[in-house]
Amino acid sequence: MDQVQDEQRTDAAPTDEANLITRLRNGDEVAFESIVSRYHETMIAVARSYVKSDDVAEEVVQEAWVGVLNGLDRFERRSSLKTWIMRILVNTALTRGGREARSVPFSSLIPAEEEEPLVEPERFRPPGAAFAGHWARYPHDWTTLPSEALLGRETLDVVKHAIEELPGPQRTVIAMRDVAGFTAEEVREVLEVSESNQRVLLHRARSRVRAAIERHLDG
Amino acid sequence: MIAYKFLQPDGTSPFSGFRWTLPEEGAPGQWVEAAVDPCRSGVHACRVSDLPFWAGRTLYEIELDGEVVEHRRKLVGSRGRLLRRIEAWDDDLRDAYTRACADRAHELAFSVSPPLEHWDAVVEPAVGGGPALLGFVAARIAEEISGPAAYRDERYKQASWLAGHLGLDG
Amino acid sequence: MAEPADHITCEEVVALVSDYLDGALPPEQVELFEQHLNFCEGCGAYVEQMRTTVAAVGRIREEDLPADTLDRLLAAFRDWRRQ
Repeated sequence: MDQVQDEQRTDAAPTDEANLITRLRNGDEVAFESIVSRYHETMIAVARSYVKSDDVAEEVVQEAWVGVLNGLDRFERRSSLKTWIMRILVNTALTRGGREARSVPFSSLIPAEEEEPLVEPERFRPPGAAFAGHWARYPHDWTTLPSEALLGRETLDVVKHAIEELPGPQRTVIAMRDVAGFTAEEVREVLEVSESNQRVLLHRARSRVRAAIERHLDG
Repeated sequence: MIAYKFLQPDGTSPFSGFRWTLPEEGAPGQWVEAAVDPCRSGVHACRVSDLPFWAGRTLYEIELDGEVVEHRRKLVGSRGRLLRRIEAWDDDLRDAYTRACADRAHELAFSVSPPLEHWDAVVEPAVGGGPALLGFVAARIAEEISGPAAYRDERYKQASWLAGHLGLDG
Repeated sequence: MAEPADHITCEEVVALVSDYLDGALPPEQVELFEQHLNFCEGCGAYVEQMRTTVAAVGRIREEDLPADTLDRLLAAFRDWRRQ
């Protein structure tokens, strides 16, 4: 049974997390820099779901980190550190309030129907045809490409850009799940979005990013 | 209990990538233990009737032990070891089976009036896709003509062909 | 009661791939999905593309924190540390 491999994840295990918290409390700048780097992309993505511009999202993230530092002494580790950080972020985005924040539940931001299909229908044999629903032309085998094409700077930039262009809820879920490695349960805790809504958002987000990589590789 | 398992030529499972120890000179491979959690872990194997659905590159006889759960198109066991490679499943037999399925697909497509020409047009181009693909194509054309029972019946015929040519019981 | 499906199409595979990779499909659907992959090179390629995509997304962590952002955050950290 295939599972997405986790080799890229280096999320803090419980003892690593305790270690990190101690270092932060001791004022260790290197520890702080590593943790803000690790979660920055994800926190911006999440903040952007609640506020209207990248600039405001940056400010919200900044404020959230101040909230994290101020709350560090009282953090009792009843949840994981990263879940706690994300909840502070969400609360910061919501309490910023006024005209700039959407103080609505995350779930209500999810549109009921996807506007356009995730793979163009012409790529499949049409309804009523022989073998309807099967590929008319096979997608390309990316494993034959040189590794730099898939792992290199250009492709990463394409991926980053594709994520930034996603609708807010999709961007948030793919950032939390696939960038930052939150589990489905942790995402549900932070965003209060159901398992099934989450799966739909993740599917749509991943599909769009795949399409962006494909367009890039096809030249 | 004795069952069958298709593996990649390098001895890995096509879906999990798990690397099996292969039988050598009459000695079985090592036992593999797994907790049975349907479709997520456990040792997967085929009954004879399942062979057409999982047709792959190399075929082994496998001994399953411990808890064995029967699923629609596979067995899942808590423990298994490879007993012997079924040498008869070689490139020549794969090609012969593929050709037999292609011929059967043509036969089916032209067994009705008007013939299913668009369905038939897929058959020869698909031959390069090998045994698993042509088995599906033939069964799917049977289904198109006579419904889901005909699909299952065609699969049963494919399993009988394989059992006969491979010298398997059941 | 309707008989369960004997097979799924490539379009259905495309719709299910994300859940498959996350282990979120029920066992009967996993079986149909894998049977399909066993005969369909096109879907094999597509599933692998999706795996590659998820892996690529995972690699954008710790990427390019803008210098001014880092400076502001470090400044906030130093302020907090002083208190």
